Amino acid sequence: MPRTAAEWTERPRFPRTHYVDARIYSDPTIFGKELETIFARTWILACHESEIAKPFDFRTFRHPSGQNLVLVRGDDDSVRTFYNVCSHRGNVLVTAPSGNARALTCAFHAWTYDCRGDCTGVARRKEGFQDRLEPHGVGLRAVRTERSPGGFYWVNVSDDCGPLDEFLAGSLGVLEPHLTEPLEVFHYQKVRLRANYKLWHETNSEFYHDFLHYFNRVTGMQQPGYFARKYQTFPNGHVSVGSMRVRYDQYGGSADRIGWPGLEAGAWFLVDLFPGMTFNLRTSVLRIDTAIPIAPDEVVVELRGLGLRRDTPAERRLRVCDHNSIWGPFGRNLHEDFLAVTGQGLSLRDHRTDTRWLLHGREEAGTIHDETGLRHYYSEWALRMGRSASDPFTEGTIE
Amino acid sequence: MRTAVEELVYRSCLLLDEQDFEGFLALCADDFRYSVEAYSPEIRREMVWLDHDKAAMKVLFENLPRHVSDPAPLSRHATVYTVGFDATGKRATVVSALQVFRTALDGGTSRLFAVGKLYDTVHAIDDGVLLAKRVVRLATRDLGIGSHIPL
Repeated sequence: MPRTAAEWTERPRFPRTHYVDARIYSDPTIFGKELETIFARTWILACHESEIAKPFDFRTFRHPSGQNLVLVRGDDDSVRTFYNVCSHRGNVLVTAPSGNARALTCAFHAWTYDCRGDCTGVARRKEGFQDRLEPHGVGLRAVRTERSPGGFYWVNVSDDCGPLDEFLAGSLGVLEPHLTEPLEVFHYQKVRLRANYKLWHETNSEFYHDFLHYFNRVTGMQQPGYFARKYQTFPNGHVSVGSMRVRYDQYGGSADRIGWPGLEAGAWFLVDLFPGMTFNLRTSVLRIDTAIPIAPDEVVVELRGLGLRRDTPAERRLRVCDHNSIWGPFGRNLHEDFLAVTGQGLSLRDHRTDTRWLLHGREEAGTIHDETGLRHYYSEWALRMGRSASDPFTEGTIE
Repeated sequence: MRTAVEELVYRSCLLLDEQDFEGFLALCADDFRYSVEAYSPEIRREMVWLDHDKAAMKVLFENLPRHVSDPAPLSRHATVYTVGFDATGKRATVVSALQVFRTALDGGTSRLFAVGKLYDTVHAIDDGVLLAKRVVRLATRDLGIGSHIPL
């Protein structure tokens, strides 16, 4: 029956771990705290090695904590990351999103830096700075950078962070047997949505919303094995989802997909990484999402599609076609997911709303429609934020 | 002939605006090929975002009612820039500017969805002209929530 105003705002009759206060999706103080305690201290996926394949290749990355970064492959083949900021007057150093340059030269006053972050030139230094400034004292700000299996480069803007392996905590293990061959990014899209970043990651972290996708209903939910898929949780807020055999031929106009090294026909593995990255291997294509929070009600989602570097042109065409059918900007599933998340954004972004509680209460023994992925995410969120997501304005309320 | 070619481009936009997909396909030759392409400066690669023959386009349109799609209509604004004919005069290559706007159902606010160009190949037949190939070349790559309906 419909509820009164008082009933509408009553706390749900669930454990406090099984719902969140919707103000975590809109409150600026919560958002600021997330940037400081989560994003400024966490490994974030920045790009794939195929985007910086050659010495002196560079690739920019807008880090969720607000820093503009540039990843550079050095003359020694090492990949390093720096703030994309000139040490002189704060101008952005590299303006193109990618390229190849032996020297990074600031267009403003012609200061130059090499691929290792050393300042190699200060225009008219002696005349202006005399002996008061040496190039070695004005190098670029280095950012911790590590590579994970499959050729993904991760960055952490905190000098005090632990190693990447420790952060991933084995969560990518389910994918690693399938990431042994060199990969290549063939699709990249950056999409700005009016919604909190967590709403996007939540959509990637629960499969109950397969009811939204006709494609997933006929190729997955109605097929054997779907309801046996299980979540596995890992330290640091990560989860993976077990596979099944997806029947792509059950969707009109679709066909069985070409394979992927070591993967059974129709297999589908997914890994969600705290605080907003997803690895999604669906038979023939690997999709990677990175959620970059911009404001409490705004997120940029970076979407990548990857195939095998050794693909023949015909194989690549098939992978691209598979990718586009559901995950491209004109694909069936991506549009539906974006509609749902921007719909949530519309409901929740106004501070005046008293829509207060979002449920994460489904328990189905950790199987595919269990919302354990969401609960696991928020247990990590609570640890990092020092407060429960169901009581986010009271510190120390961790359940 | 040039007028017929220009009208074909404009009619194709009108029919897609009206979601008259059968009408749109009737403008296309049996060997029609449709693609949406863009260049990514981020990964320094050409990208293909849709690539269908006429049969696959028909299936795509037939599947639309089964999906949850944004109901906000798209409006295509094309301007034919150039029409070039081959030596026979029966085959034309057409370059048009394209802007697509999305209009919200609630309030009717129109916002730019995408800009790009249409690269069409048009064949003359006995009683008119048919689209043989369309490449939608997008400059816009952030398409927001995207679309189930081709441009």
